[in-house]
Amino acid sequence: MIAATTAAGAPRVPAIRSFIRGRRRRPWYDWYSMAFVVMLAVVLLSDLLAQPFGRLAGSGGSAPAQAVAGAALVIGSAAGMLMLAQALGPLALSPGDACWLLLTPLDRRAVLRRPAAVTAAVSALAGGALGVLGLAMAGPYLRPGSSTHRVPWAWLVLAAVGGAGFLVAAMLAGVLAQPWPRWRARMRAAGAVAGVVAVAGAVTGERWTGVSRAVTGSFARLSTGTFGLIAAVAVAAACLGALLVQRMLPRFPAGVVRADSVRAGTTLLAAAFLNVPLLTWMAEDSHWRGRLLASRPWPRRAAFAPGLSPAFVLAWADWRRLARRPGVLIALAVSTLAPALAGAAFTGRAHGWTTAAVVLAGAVAAGTQGTTATRRDTNDPTLRRLLGVDSGTVLAARAALPALLSAAWLTVALTLLVLTGDLPGRPLDGWLWPLSGLAAGAGVAAAALRIARTAPINPADQGPDTPVGTAPPWLITRAGSVLLGLAGAYPTLRAILAGQVHGSTFAAQLAVSAVVLGGYLMLAVRVAPSR
Amino acid sequence: MAGPAVAVRGMRVAYGSFIVLEDVDLTAADGEVVAVTGVNGAGKSTLLSCMAGLHRPAAGTVAVLGARPRDNAAFWRAVALVADQPTWYPGLTVREHLELVRLTHEPVSGWCLRVDELIDTFGLAVRADAVPFDLSSGQRQRLSLAAALARPSRLLLLDEPEQSLDPGFRQELAGLLLEYTGHGGTVVMATHDLDFATAAGARRILIADGRVAAPGLAGPNP
Repeated sequence: MIAATTAAGAPRVPAIRSFIRGRRRRPWYDWYSMAFVVMLAVVLLSDLLAQPFGRLAGSGGSAPAQAVAGAALVIGSAAGMLMLAQALGPLALSPGDACWLLLTPLDRRAVLRRPAAVTAAVSALAGGALGVLGLAMAGPYLRPGSSTHRVPWAWLVLAAVGGAGFLVAAMLAGVLAQPWPRWRARMRAAGAVAGVVAVAGAVTGERWTGVSRAVTGSFARLSTGTFGLIAAVAVAAACLGALLVQRMLPRFPAGVVRADSVRAGTTLLAAAFLNVPLLTWMAEDSHWRGRLLASRPWPRRAAFAPGLSPAFVLAWADWRRLARRPGVLIALAVSTLAPALAGAAFTGRAHGWTTAAVVLAGAVAAGTQGTTATRRDTNDPTLRRLLGVDSGTVLAARAALPALLSAAWLTVALTLLVLTGDLPGRPLDGWLWPLSGLAAGAGVAAAALRIARTAPINPADQGPDTPVGTAPPWLITRAGSVLLGLAGAYPTLRAILAGQVHGSTFAAQLAVSAVVLGGYLMLAVRVAPSR
Repeated sequence: MAGPAVAVRGMRVAYGSFIVLEDVDLTAADGEVVAVTGVNGAGKSTLLSCMAGLHRPAAGTVAVLGARPRDNAAFWRAVALVADQPTWYPGLTVREHLELVRLTHEPVSGWCLRVDELIDTFGLAVRADAVPFDLSSGQRQRLSLAAALARPSRLLLLDEPEQSLDPGFRQELAGLLLEYTGHGGTVVMATHDLDFATAAGARRILIADGRVAAPGLAGPNP
């Protein structure tokens, strides 16, 4: 029997980790980069959250709809974190540990204890922050019972504990579901439902003030006892989750952790280097893996584009992919609510940079959903040679879908902004907003195409010197894509910032879109085919 | 030990509605080398994965060293798997990776090669202090195989061990596998190289259309 071969006194995992740590040569700039990223995140987040957190001190008010949208944003963020964690694990080792420590006689519980603890700690931090943020969103409507509007420290602590407890419990539930694909799918579905409910609640609150007043009215009834009860339930749920995970770790299947760890490691690396092609490649790969699809013939050239080159037939690949992924179209449709929600939650104003930034990001993201094939063969010279068609014509043919997606997304998003009252909707202006969005689609598509055609980051590349040091080329090229999108939708974005649209905005947008997309296509064909 | 080192009975594996293996019977006796052959996509890797307990068959039984694969410390002390290119620790050298394998299997008792022997035998001496990222694909494959022989085991599961290796080293590897079985170990490997399988003295099993088409071919290529 196998057990007979097991020797006593198996090595301890801390000793193994110490062996690895003692020999790994990690350059100082690794630590520097990590610290820089953390500091940058703290600065950006503190800037973004300063206004909502200011409400904790009783400064600044918010409309009921803004408070409801803020609460929805908190719930949606938690749901998003859960879904992201489900996609990456949530229990994952470093790729090296997964490969060298799992299929060994080492105690599985000891190997997995650390990543489980990290998962719980990160969840507790994020959950605590979300709990406080939720309290801040409700801030102006809370009745602390004192003459000042300042939220008591006890509430702050209890909200943080409650948020941390619930997120830790949910994340550990994800760990418990990880080995079973069916339960994993259910967890993802639960996250998606929570997100959709939050968005629907926010929209309802924004459209019907009666609803938002009822919700904010319920905030006023919250007391120290309620917060204490919520925190106690959350902590109990987290403790139960921790106990179950602790008992499960020794039997946690190695195959699942190995696969998830490799995927999580590659994803984090790609995210750290802003390697969008690799990230989207992985998402696509993970979606299609294991599926059986009905093969269908390509459209006949004569019927599809008579007299034109086979490039248009080739461009059909993206249309077919999208037709096979209705979920993407649904997600894009739902995401058109994002500008209205983001604007209401953070600025509470009808317009502003937050709304404009989310509009631009959403439109570019919508466009990139139509650039999968471009991304594939741009970075694959072998495939490009195999296809044997002129790359410029193919790129022009492939611009149609991202332009259509961006235009449709902008049209719906701007219509929603008008309907929710975030943008002025006098009779004529109301129509001009979606029309401008429709016109901006082509301009934004240039940014989507550029992102798709950008080569993966090579950290070894040296860039030009700037007053603050050498600028890495990957940073320049990615910033270039953002600027292209900004240029492509400039008249519409400027109108959003100003909060007013005119007939001239639409005309200017048409012209700008034509110039930006046309110019990009002409330049892209002239420059090296891999760019 | 009574019974074969590996015994598979009536195994069925499916990915969704796609049946990969159906009604597979296979045994590997103690001290035997078994080479599983078949065209690409025949299910060879899936079969090895089931033997390693990383994939659960939909039907049938798998017994490894007298018990169901358990994915626990006792199992992985007895079984070594080389299935795909490992992920390397950044900043660790070739030698350190091999030392790590021995460390994770301490106390090392039973037949295996010492780290210095492995480095020489697998032709990695000049690259012993290099990080694996700097090795060629063939050298990395050598390192993967060396890691499997750096610790004692009773069953070696190898998925296409010959890939990226030059013909000369394939012959040396075949000799190493014979030496391993000479010390009581059993080898089950998926391979496309019939010369390599023959050199390792393997009994060949052919998988076709998800079933065992030829359960025991031996000797030179047909």
